[in-house]
Amino acid sequence: MATQNNTDKVRTSIKVLQAIILIGFFVMLVRIFQLQILDYETYSPISMQNSLRMEVLQPARGLILDRNGTILVENQPIYSITITPARFPMDKLPLLSKILEIDEEIVEQRIRAAQAYSWHRSSRLFAEVPFEVFSAIQENSWQLPGIGHQLESKRHYPTDVLGPHIFGYLREASLEEYRADDRIRLGDRIGKSGLERTYENYLRGEIGTQYVRVNAFGQSLGAYEGAGLNVTPVRGSDLITSLDAETQALAEKLMDGKRGGLVAMDPQTGGIITMVSAPLFDPRKLAGRMDISYWRDLNTDSTTPLYNRAISSRQPPGSTFKPFMGLVGVEMGLVTNQTQIYNPGFYLRGRRYNDLADPGYYDLELAIAKSSNTYFFWIMDRIASRGRLNEWARLINDFGMGPLNNIDLPSERSGIIPDSTYMNSTFGERRWGIGDLMSLGIGQGMVSASPLQMAVATSTLANGGYKVQPHVVTGIRNGSGEVQYTRPVLEKITWLRDEDVEAVQKGMLRVIPEGGARWRSMIPGIDIAGKTGTSQNPHGENHGWFIAYAPKDDPQIAIAILTENTGFGSQSAAPIASLIIEQYLTGEVKRQHVIDYVLYEFPGQRATSIHQISEQ
Amino acid sequence: MSEKREFSWSVIFIWIGLFTIGLTAIYSATQGPVSQFLPTYILDNFTRQATWIALSIAVLFGIQFISPRTFQEGAYIFYGVGLVLMVITIFFGVEVSGSRSWLRIGPINVQVGEVMKAATILAAASYLTSRRNVSAENLKTALVTVAIFLVPFILLLAQNEAGVGIVYLGILPVVLFWSGLPYGISVLMISPALVGYFTVLDVRLGIIMALILTVVIFFLQRRTWLTVTSLVFGALVIIGTEVALHQILQPHQRARIETFANPSLDPLGAGWNVIQAKTAIGSGGLYGKGFMEGTQTQLRFLPEQWTDFIFCVVGEEFGFIGAGLLLILYAALFMRLLYMAASHKHPFAQLVIISVTFLYFVHFVINIGSATALLPIIGIPLPFISYGGSAFLTNTILLAICLNLDFNKRSFSIYR
Repeated sequence: MATQNNTDKVRTSIKVLQAIILIGFFVMLVRIFQLQILDYETYSPISMQNSLRMEVLQPARGLILDRNGTILVENQPIYSITITPARFPMDKLPLLSKILEIDEEIVEQRIRAAQAYSWHRSSRLFAEVPFEVFSAIQENSWQLPGIGHQLESKRHYPTDVLGPHIFGYLREASLEEYRADDRIRLGDRIGKSGLERTYENYLRGEIGTQYVRVNAFGQSLGAYEGAGLNVTPVRGSDLITSLDAETQALAEKLMDGKRGGLVAMDPQTGGIITMVSAPLFDPRKLAGRMDISYWRDLNTDSTTPLYNRAISSRQPPGSTFKPFMGLVGVEMGLVTNQTQIYNPGFYLRGRRYNDLADPGYYDLELAIAKSSNTYFFWIMDRIASRGRLNEWARLINDFGMGPLNNIDLPSERSGIIPDSTYMNSTFGERRWGIGDLMSLGIGQGMVSASPLQMAVATSTLANGGYKVQPHVVTGIRNGSGEVQYTRPVLEKITWLRDEDVEAVQKGMLRVIPEGGARWRSMIPGIDIAGKTGTSQNPHGENHGWFIAYAPKDDPQIAIAILTENTGFGSQSAAPIASLIIEQYLTGEVKRQHVIDYVLYEFPGQRATSIHQISEQ
Repeated sequence: MSEKREFSWSVIFIWIGLFTIGLTAIYSATQGPVSQFLPTYILDNFTRQATWIALSIAVLFGIQFISPRTFQEGAYIFYGVGLVLMVITIFFGVEVSGSRSWLRIGPINVQVGEVMKAATILAAASYLTSRRNVSAENLKTALVTVAIFLVPFILLLAQNEAGVGIVYLGILPVVLFWSGLPYGISVLMISPALVGYFTVLDVRLGIIMALILTVVIFFLQRRTWLTVTSLVFGALVIIGTEVALHQILQPHQRARIETFANPSLDPLGAGWNVIQAKTAIGSGGLYGKGFMEGTQTQLRFLPEQWTDFIFCVVGEEFGFIGAGLLLILYAALFMRLLYMAASHKHPFAQLVIISVTFLYFVHFVINIGSATALLPIIGIPLPFISYGGSAFLTNTILLAICLNLDFNKRSFSIYR
């Protein structure tokens, strides 16, 4: 009986145990059925995403070329380290910092910034690390999950042309810029000034994507050739400019260590041949990993090197204003190109205005050639007395002074050609009079313009009365080599009469040979029509101006140059202009003594210069 | 006495089927197309496992020539030697990733905790069946049995191998239940685990579970004191679990426990493995991605794919069909072993076979439960599948003993 009982008990117990095992078996079976059959659609895509990582392929940024096809701005490879914060264990920070040779604190700070951008997308941790660091990161990537590397590029300037104010520089996009444009990734460098900024959308190109098979450590296991997932990057378009590399290089060399702005353009098309703003800065130090202390210095320098004087400064044009003043006087019916006005050595209107030109009779041509003030005071007196200021301002504006000329560079500033509205807002209604307007006649006082505006105005004299729109870029060449050219915009100034313009031109042709500029600004075989000017500066030494075009019969270059605190334009601005004209028209400079003068004996020459800095 | 002796070849075939799946999965996990990033000691896993299997085959057949009585008589000696080795391991063992559970014997490393399982099972079976009328109904007998399991468990805790230790706690109720512990008390023994598990899922589920178990216990054994004890136990477990989760444990520890139910609590920490394991299995679908084609496996999204997460490899690369076949093989093995136990006359043999079955079963449930996110992740291997020589050899020895006992069931008399 006991045995029987025992056997029964064994049977029951076995049944209980069998039940437990069968329950366990069916629970597991149902579970894998649920995961593999019912939830397959959920897990399959996750596993796909897990094993593929999207990598961004940076397009090559477009090049910038001069008028002859010389490459002025190109790209150079640099190595960057990226991070996907979610994958990176913070306890690897010391190792990472050791390999990067960068302080842990800084590395951590950068990681936090990357986290703030995205935990799961990769962003740049450090740009432009030395090649040794780059390869050390590559070697150690198995113990640095989430850390990636990227080959990128920085701007490189292969010629002597630095053109900082023309080309501008790149900096990492700000958070606002990144949010405003979905083509920009955080950490992308975008143009912040110059052509790099204006033509950012052309130069940038389109990023490509490449899917890479990765393991859980983020190690790349090779490209994934999946159906249509990969997108080839589209390289940025090249900019073909009207710049002339050799002339630009010379201009930069001549302006180095000085303060001022220079614009030379083709008077027939408006294409900028040369543009320099001094002091210059070294764009090479802002390319790639920015030299922070240099950047800080640039921003705090009292001479404001980042400021583009060529298109943004406002200075009274002084006597370079006279040719335009004369033409406006004719148009307003105050004089003809034959009218002679006597200069006794001064002009009296409320007070005595001195005239340094020899006493005698002056017609339009002679007044410009000898820069007689009396002739222009006489005209201004009548404009002011008869309340024709607004008419005068409108006519002056037609030359390109005053309003913006819409050059393809950022931060262009309009000049000031005062009309009654302007005078009212400056002095108050009816609180200004003829005395405040007289000096406008000789380009002093309130009237002011940038070198760009003076160059545009000079072009109108050179091309016989057409206002041209200035521009640096003449063509945009896309990745497949097709070039889209910009058409020059010329606008005839309808009220200008050829005979009046000729009178002015004749006067300007006599300026260099018969004036103070003749010693250093004459070029054998080339007739330059020019006009010197000196801008009265109540805060210090006067600024020198010079405008010119050449050659006289078929003008190919019009130039305006302002040199700050250098006294008479004939001694400062004119020699530089003559060198640039010589270089551009003949392809070389034979007058080495003038170069030496400009480089070493120039009034107010600063010892430090960009070329000295860059040679260190 | 000698009649027709039948060797249970079906068990051998299941065994071969399981270790073949295991070898395939280990091969895929360590020799795949991107194994270049693996350290050499892992690259060698396949060859080492194959060597251990070859050795185990010899051991399995060798054991068949031993007299079944030896297991019973030598049980205490094995157990004693095992305990000594465990203690030695604590002091002189090789430390591997935080736990000191390996003992270097000549050229090979042995995981003593694995071998100890066999000794413990034999010792407990030997003790419980040494005399007639020794039953777990007797409190003293039950306590001694508990002690036999608890000593190695504590030593395992000292080795920082709590995962392996849990297996000892898992088979103890089965052993006691088989040895005559009343059903009600048996249920009471496993009730803390069940109530705790459901409390972690949801405190309301925990309360329902505690009430159900109390009712079951009441109907099994109409004893007021037991029912009250069950109720108090349940309440204590629920309160204890809740207090532990919300008051005592640090958030990250709590996350580790809770993530199996809700991996998004900590998707990059403790939840990572849960998500990746489910993804691996789920993305396998019906047919799987194919041998060495599983992206989760080949791209190393799971740690320890050749041991604790090997089921994911099978699930991902061979799909529901492969994983289902694996489950069926296990179920067949368990049912076959239970049948063996039931048809055996000798209580020692019965108890050993039952214990071995449930040793496998506990591994099976915990390992696959972890991989499929039914349980918190507890790192223990899948018998005969996972990489690990000591475990494979121990499991084979235990299987060999079961086969031996079954083979000799007529000559292995109850009476001496």
